[in-house]
Amino acid sequence: MKTMTIQLRTGTMMNMDCNVAIKLTDAALDKGYDVRIFGYGEGVWLIKAGQEPKRFPNVGEEAKKLVETGKVEVTVCNTCTTARGFRRGEEIQGMKIGSLTNDLSRFVAESDRMVTIAR
Amino acid sequence: MANSVLVLITKPPYGLEEAFAGSRLALGMVSSGNVGKCNLLLVGDGTLNAVATQNPEIIGMPSNMEALQDMTDMEFKVYCVKQDLDERAPGASVLNFVEMVDWEKARKIIDEHQMVTTF
Repeated sequence: MKTMTIQLRTGTMMNMDCNVAIKLTDAALDKGYDVRIFGYGEGVWLIKAGQEPKRFPNVGEEAKKLVETGKVEVTVCNTCTTARGFRRGEEIQGMKIGSLTNDLSRFVAESDRMVTIAR
Repeated sequence: MANSVLVLITKPPYGLEEAFAGSRLALGMVSSGNVGKCNLLLVGDGTLNAVATQNPEIIGMPSNMEALQDMTDMEFKVYCVKQDLDERAPGASVLNFVEMVDWEKARKIIDEHQMVTTF
């Protein structure tokens, strides 16, 4: 099984980076990859529950559908969520507030490829 | 599966989150024990992170020098492209644990790592 890690470092609404991460994940699944997304810095907002963009894609909901395939894992940095007042229990079900040391390092060690999406 | 990661820092030490975030990410990788080799390469404006006379207390920011020092305590290498630093801060004193390299060596360092993530 091939695995790809996406390191996402931008937030949900200011540009299309999260949308790109979602589409890239979808494409990677089609090519037989399992995908790990790690949100760092502003990238943590991807897993915030209750997103309600009026005219734009709801990337949180789209990420949730990908996680439900069982082939995608989404985790974000706990230091980054704490700094932003994003508390445990506010994440979308099936996604996780984790850590660089335990989770991103594991994702990298398990992956064949890593893509960084940032500005 | 990846066993070596290079963190490439292209941004200056203060005014943007990237340099601090990148050095912390590298530290997390090293301390996890999941990734066999993780090093850091400063290029472009990122070479300003190697300047020894940083005084972040004046602007109330955390010190990038300390983050880099923490990494070298764990057998982690910090490389800096000399040409890029000379163009930005000619004659600047450099942190004593930073290894200055030319672009030819920098290309080899990039090539020696299985994954590269850019900040």
